[in-house]
Amino acid sequence: MTVAVEESPVKKSYKWVGTRPVRHDGLEKVNGKARFAADMTKPRMIHGHVLRSPLAHAKILSVDTTEAESMPGVKAVVTAADFPPPSKNEGFPHRSSNLIAREKVRYEGQVVAAVAATTRRQAKAAAAKIAVKYEELPHVLTVDEAMADGAPLLHENLITKGLDTTPKQASNIAKRDYFEQGDLEAGFAEADVVYEHEFTTKVVHQGYIEPHACVADTSKDGRSEIWCSSQGHFMVRSATAEMLGWETSQLKVIPAEIGGGFGGKTTIYLEPLAVKLSQKANRPVKIVMRREDVFKATGPTPGTKIRVKIGARKDGTLTAGKAWLAYESGAFPGSWGMLGGWCVFAPYDIPNVQIESFEVVVNKPVNIAYRAPSAPMAAFATETVIDQIAREIKMDPIELRLLNAVEEGDYNHSSMVGTFQRIGLKETLEAIRDHPNYKIPLGPNQGRGVATGFWFNIAQSSSATVNLTENGRAVVVTGSPDIGGSRVSMALMAAEELGIDVKFIQPVVGDTEAVGFTDVTEGSRTTFATGMAVVRACRELVTQLRERAAIMWDCSVEDVEWVDGKAHHSGNKESPLSLAEITAKAKKTGGPLNATGSLEAKGQGPAFSTQICDLEVDPETGKATILRYTTAQDAGTAIHPSYVEGQMQGGVAQGIGWALNEEYIHDKKGVMQNPGFLDYRIPVASDLPMIETVIVEVPNPKHPYGVRGVGEVGIVPPIPAIANAIHDATGLRLRDLPMSPVRVLEGLNQQNGVG
Amino acid sequence: MRYVRPGTVDEAVSLLNSEPESCVFAGATDLVPQMQGGRPEPKLMIDLKGIPRLVKVSYSNGQLVVGAATPVSIVKVDDNLKAAFPGLSESSGLIGSDQIQNRASLGGNLCTASPGADTIPSLMVNSARVVIASSGGTRTIPVSDVVTGPGSVSLKSNEFVVEFILDAPPKRTADAYLRFIPRTEMDIAVVGAAARLTLDDADCCTEALVAIGAAAPTVVRAPVAENALRGNPINDETLAEVMAAASAVCSPISDKRGTKEYRRQVAGVLAKRVVLQAAKRAKEKGGAV
Amino acid sequence: MVNVFLGSNLQRFTHGVEEVEVNASSVKSLIAELDRRYPGIADALDPKFALAINGEVIANPGYEKISDGSEVRFLAPMQGG
Repeated sequence: MTVAVEESPVKKSYKWVGTRPVRHDGLEKVNGKARFAADMTKPRMIHGHVLRSPLAHAKILSVDTTEAESMPGVKAVVTAADFPPPSKNEGFPHRSSNLIAREKVRYEGQVVAAVAATTRRQAKAAAAKIAVKYEELPHVLTVDEAMADGAPLLHENLITKGLDTTPKQASNIAKRDYFEQGDLEAGFAEADVVYEHEFTTKVVHQGYIEPHACVADTSKDGRSEIWCSSQGHFMVRSATAEMLGWETSQLKVIPAEIGGGFGGKTTIYLEPLAVKLSQKANRPVKIVMRREDVFKATGPTPGTKIRVKIGARKDGTLTAGKAWLAYESGAFPGSWGMLGGWCVFAPYDIPNVQIESFEVVVNKPVNIAYRAPSAPMAAFATETVIDQIAREIKMDPIELRLLNAVEEGDYNHSSMVGTFQRIGLKETLEAIRDHPNYKIPLGPNQGRGVATGFWFNIAQSSSATVNLTENGRAVVVTGSPDIGGSRVSMALMAAEELGIDVKFIQPVVGDTEAVGFTDVTEGSRTTFATGMAVVRACRELVTQLRERAAIMWDCSVEDVEWVDGKAHHSGNKESPLSLAEITAKAKKTGGPLNATGSLEAKGQGPAFSTQICDLEVDPETGKATILRYTTAQDAGTAIHPSYVEGQMQGGVAQGIGWALNEEYIHDKKGVMQNPGFLDYRIPVASDLPMIETVIVEVPNPKHPYGVRGVGEVGIVPPIPAIANAIHDATGLRLRDLPMSPVRVLEGLNQQNGVG
Repeated sequence: MRYVRPGTVDEAVSLLNSEPESCVFAGATDLVPQMQGGRPEPKLMIDLKGIPRLVKVSYSNGQLVVGAATPVSIVKVDDNLKAAFPGLSESSGLIGSDQIQNRASLGGNLCTASPGADTIPSLMVNSARVVIASSGGTRTIPVSDVVTGPGSVSLKSNEFVVEFILDAPPKRTADAYLRFIPRTEMDIAVVGAAARLTLDDADCCTEALVAIGAAAPTVVRAPVAENALRGNPINDETLAEVMAAASAVCSPISDKRGTKEYRRQVAGVLAKRVVLQAAKRAKEKGGAV
Repeated sequence: MVNVFLGSNLQRFTHGVEEVEVNASSVKSLIAELDRRYPGIADALDPKFALAINGEVIANPGYEKISDGSEVRFLAPMQGG
């Protein structure tokens, strides 16, 4: 049945929503009992090892597994020949052509074959005996190289989409997106200040701590069970089935706990290999990536080259914006350039706009989502130029943003959403403007930068089943892996609906056969969309509880109200019945109480975040140390404020790493030089101050509790906030990432006429 | 691959001689990642941590003796060592993480022979000597004679380091170590600098040793900087000479951790800062331990 | 009437025109009408296309009703982190 949950978003006080109970899965997470994919073990289980390409670009002439198959302990070997040919329609983000290389390898680390043997060492030793003959091809690593005339082609049939006339010849440019509104020339003519600059960013990885891992157990009846870590086990089921040429019903996927994803676990890498090895060996097979594999063959997010030109009047009104964006997408096309184009001017009401974006394939791992994918790079360019304009016209950078910020009813062409519904950008800007940290005096070599960021958020399908137990508790089963505290958030919404203590709610992540279809935990959608499914199920249960109370009281259901976890007789003829009193009598009133809720959610609310970075630059070494960091973000409604704050802080921490030190470093042959956390420098705890959070709550009118997504937008402002702070501290405008000590010192030397 | 844990130096020596493809190790904090990264596995791995002489810190006759396999987590907190060689204690506490420091050792840090090894500059400015064992008995050489290039040492394949000997420093003498890393911890030096200074009662420098790490194929001494310090007060003029000399002594490479220009420039900065720190300590400190 | 905005990849069917007015009351009738006017455009839609109707993103549109005066945008499939 359908229960209307899209009621009006009046900000109200709740009993459970907005409180901070200990998360239900907390104890097991801290005492080590929680089981991650690599913890799974099965009787007779053997171990897989994946052979990966050592070359960035090469033709595969032959793959000979004869010697490997005769090595000690080897039970199965798979190559591309064991998988059906890629479907013509296969596309982003799950691709058989990426899962295992066929005619060509297109990046260092691409899978060529896999071996299963009794021990990991045996599997590794056998993989080394697979003889692969390559013919090396020239490679391209950057958008400049890939877009150059005569560049080596990754795909001989890749014809650029979205150009006015379809090109006859293949190139490395997969797609061009273009939009314009107003009169660009007139807009710039109207401006008193115009700045245009070019920015570059490097490939960075999501950097989740848990490497990909799975165990597959394939039976002779043609079914397989998969235990794995992912952001969505229904996605694992469908994508794995597609690559195997199987029916989805042949696969059951059981979600393990997940040790971080940030978008990087929204696709599959190992599962079809493990299923096939298991089928051939007739044994359960476990494959666990090493960190090196994770860097070389999963993730990352694109490197980019972006030019942004913005014009403004002296009074601060933005008159025109032009952006040219080229996003790498790795070895196969994605949609990163398009997303960057949508985000580049989204926070601002600019009347005259032109945006052209490109999607460019390069010989690097296939890009996958990373926390507000594509938005941080675009924001780096826009927010830096906005800062420059604010300085030129001597206007406070927050006031400049407030003057031009989009709000409800603003028609924002470039965001592609069109007219904004109720959003909270201005509220985040005001929260920062009024924050005491915005006024703290700075010392020598210290600087302050601000920036703002936008992200769409995503809705999609979710399902929930809620079972009431005999003793009056509720088991809430959803299909969303818990990455950022979603179990406790589901429990809080269920507690609010049912009126029982949140500790009496047991939130569970169900496998693909225990709960209805649920899309990937991505796009900050889970608390929003899966939350809606939980609310639906709970409201259906309240109806059932009223019906049971009516049976117990022998009255009409219309005479029963559900208030604060109890059935009340409208005429006060009966003492209220608690939920536990009703479930205790369930067998006598019609049987167990349970309900499901499911929907294709709509109406996610866009998210905005505004941040202040205070830092100090060591003028002799170029090292920037973050002194203070403040972030204000519109959460809609914070269901569990601690996990909202955690998401806000996590986004900032990753943004700081991206800004200051993270980058993929390749040698001339396209081989990654830093595939480990020693030289791929994500921040360590002591690098960061406590990140101060301000949760802004502008409820989303399309959610029963006003939820917007909170997981992603926090990573959008840090890069420009840091760049603007470095400028404030030193006078240097850095437009190339990372803003590492080497780069800062080079800039300072140039400024001082040294070197 | 076979693993053995001998209990004496003699036993370790004969094991090393028994198998040409053998390898001694202490913490294995470099060895294990190297083997995972494709370094050929030896047939025999000899764990030196079972030899009591190699896992202790002791003092006698004005000398400090540190067993080559002693965890640097002990080196960093040993009170006597900290008082006499604060810079060596400091550099020991910068290696890897707490977990790594519970395994890593001075002997391993030296024999891995990384140009960026944190403890080598400190051992060099303190003129440490190294006792080396082989079937022929033991020999003692200056620490500066061990490393010959990145990853290579002057030891023969049947030799290993037993212990380090450091003489107690004279009065008003102190060392310091600083390194530059882009993060705050758990990193490898982009450049490192150690200094040991002796001051007279007028705070004039009478003796100076300066060593620079990660800026040449091996850790290098900076003799011109040392000469600039000797016989002079620690003032801006002296420090400017130290900076220039420290930069000049470098022959760095550009790699994933930094450019050669950066290393050269920051070597000077660190040399200046480490000299100031050593001088401050020397002033605060009285006589020898 | 419904105001429909077409991305650059669909504008080749409309000779570069980005905004078109269409008489339609549902996503189904909208696409049918567009295809009648610009033959081939329906097949050119990404199989996983999304829509924004009056600023609300619909990831898997198909049978939605569209009220008169609405603003409809065709979007390529999106991904989040």
